[in-house]
Amino acid sequence: MRLRNAFLAPTAILMAVTMLAPLAIIVVYSLLTRGAYGGVELPWTLENFTRLWDPVYGVIFVRSFWIAAVSTALCLILGFPLAMFIARSGPRKNLYLSLVILPFWTSFLIRTYAWMFLLRDTGIVNSALQGLGIIREPLALLYNDGVVILGLVYGFLPFMVLPLYATLERLDPSLLEAAADLGARPRDTLVRVTLPLCAPGIRAGAILVFVPCLGTYLTSDLLGGSKTVLIGNLVQNQFTASRDWPFGAALSLALMAIAMILLFAARRRGEELL
Amino acid sequence: MNRRTFLIGAAAAVACGRAARLNVFNWSDYVSPDTIPNFEREFGIRVRYGTYESVPEMLAKVMSGNSGWDVIFPSAEYIQPMRDMGLLARLRHDWLPNLSMLDRQFQKPPWDPGLDWSVPYMHGATGIVYQKSLGWTPRAWSDLWDARLAGKLTMLDDPPEVFAACLKTLGYSLNSADPGELKAAQQRAIAQKPLVRAYLNAEVRDQLVAGDVSAAQAWAVTAAQAIAAAPEKLAFAFPSEGFPRYADNVAILRESSRQEAAHHFIAYLLRPQVAAAIVETTHTAACNGAAQAFLPEALRSDPVLYPPADILARGEWFAPQSAAGQRLRDRLWTEIKT
Repeated sequence: MRLRNAFLAPTAILMAVTMLAPLAIIVVYSLLTRGAYGGVELPWTLENFTRLWDPVYGVIFVRSFWIAAVSTALCLILGFPLAMFIARSGPRKNLYLSLVILPFWTSFLIRTYAWMFLLRDTGIVNSALQGLGIIREPLALLYNDGVVILGLVYGFLPFMVLPLYATLERLDPSLLEAAADLGARPRDTLVRVTLPLCAPGIRAGAILVFVPCLGTYLTSDLLGGSKTVLIGNLVQNQFTASRDWPFGAALSLALMAIAMILLFAARRRGEELL
Repeated sequence: MNRRTFLIGAAAAVACGRAARLNVFNWSDYVSPDTIPNFEREFGIRVRYGTYESVPEMLAKVMSGNSGWDVIFPSAEYIQPMRDMGLLARLRHDWLPNLSMLDRQFQKPPWDPGLDWSVPYMHGATGIVYQKSLGWTPRAWSDLWDARLAGKLTMLDDPPEVFAACLKTLGYSLNSADPGELKAAQQRAIAQKPLVRAYLNAEVRDQLVAGDVSAAQAWAVTAAQAIAAAPEKLAFAFPSEGFPRYADNVAILRESSRQEAAHHFIAYLLRPQVAAAIVETTHTAACNGAAQAFLPEALRSDPVLYPPADILARGEWFAPQSAAGQRLRDRLWTEIKT
């Protein structure tokens, strides 16, 4: 037992220093007053939290939730068949899994820029469509909500596929055979056997996609052209252009609280997560 | 140098185990590739060179007072606040014999008339870059509300700049902190938003060159780089209502224990040849007037970088905002973006 603690100590200390200490700083900052040019000053105040009830921020939270929810749903719709395909592709499994992970070899920023080059007015997509005579004027593919969702789905799809794959791979094929033997059509098997058994994977994937989507700021900046702010952009602005650190800290705590509530809500069923 | 000071110096050098150091924290793309190596070679000082993308980013790091940086490059409107926060060291003019190299308008800049805390480095303005093929010429900020630009117009993703353009179309100062004026400016920005393709900063350069964007609110630096890449297609206008001017300055942090080396570095940057080489690389306008003589004709007479005095007279410098004014602007800006 003591030996176990000794091996755990480095991780425990690392977690305490790199997670709890910054979190404590954020909590302290959120309760202080903004300095005139950034930074924080006394006195202590709760004003940063009361400001959160301003409807303008409510609109931003609702919008961010909506975009994160749509992206998560699309990831699920696209990721489930893919995970199923990989789980059933026998010896090629590892190859396909590597391909799913392959994009992580390049930075997300660079891949987002690549999308910009594809989608801009003089980009490959518009040039090709014009060259084929399908359109005359370039389509406005960049700088709207749809392309922000596209960027998020693209970026976070692997986070949905991997946990789904993990559950589908463990799924006992004899259960599916039993369902067929008992007269279930493939659709019934999917809805009444496969999906319920995959619920933990779906929940884990949904959380892994939804939470980072909720906090995203890069995608909305680059692909959305900064025309609308999401929570992530709002937090970022407080620490840069607006120089209002305490309010930025309060906003990020609110975001964290929401993510925690979602985690607990997803866990309540008593099933293991991940 | 007598023998004793030499021995002390040598002992100190041995104790440190390396040559003297200087820590320089600058905007990205703001020196020529040989600026730093040449300084290191000539002065025997090793430079640790870091870059930042915005003043708030730099400020967040140096505000602690033990950031480890010696020389920084704040924008004009931050000199007064940084002085008030006690971050800047008073400059010793006896170590800066070539301050006279500065252009006349920067000998007594409004943000630091005695050059006690900062030395103007590079300057520029904000204006409109447009495609010559447009068929008409945007001359004023108010032209950026023209429906013909719908979907082909970008504005800067920088609250002070967008407010500046809106305030100028209404005839107000771009530094206004008056709630009524700012709300009116916000209404202008909201009215313009349906036409706006995106809010972009330096990224707009490629889209201007590629022809994706017809007109853009842009910094003169970005404009000069875009025009250099596509001179037959693009042109720049200094808006008739007036426009923002900006200047970046070099200053020394009070925390620095290398004041003398830092002064050497500033004096080195003030050399006309050094400043001219930086202008050639970065396409910015040097505050160093004497550098003009060392520039190629094309840059020296570049109307975007070095406009004539009667145009510059329409410019207005950004000034520091009060905390209350800043907060109101933040809120209004968030509403524009929602």
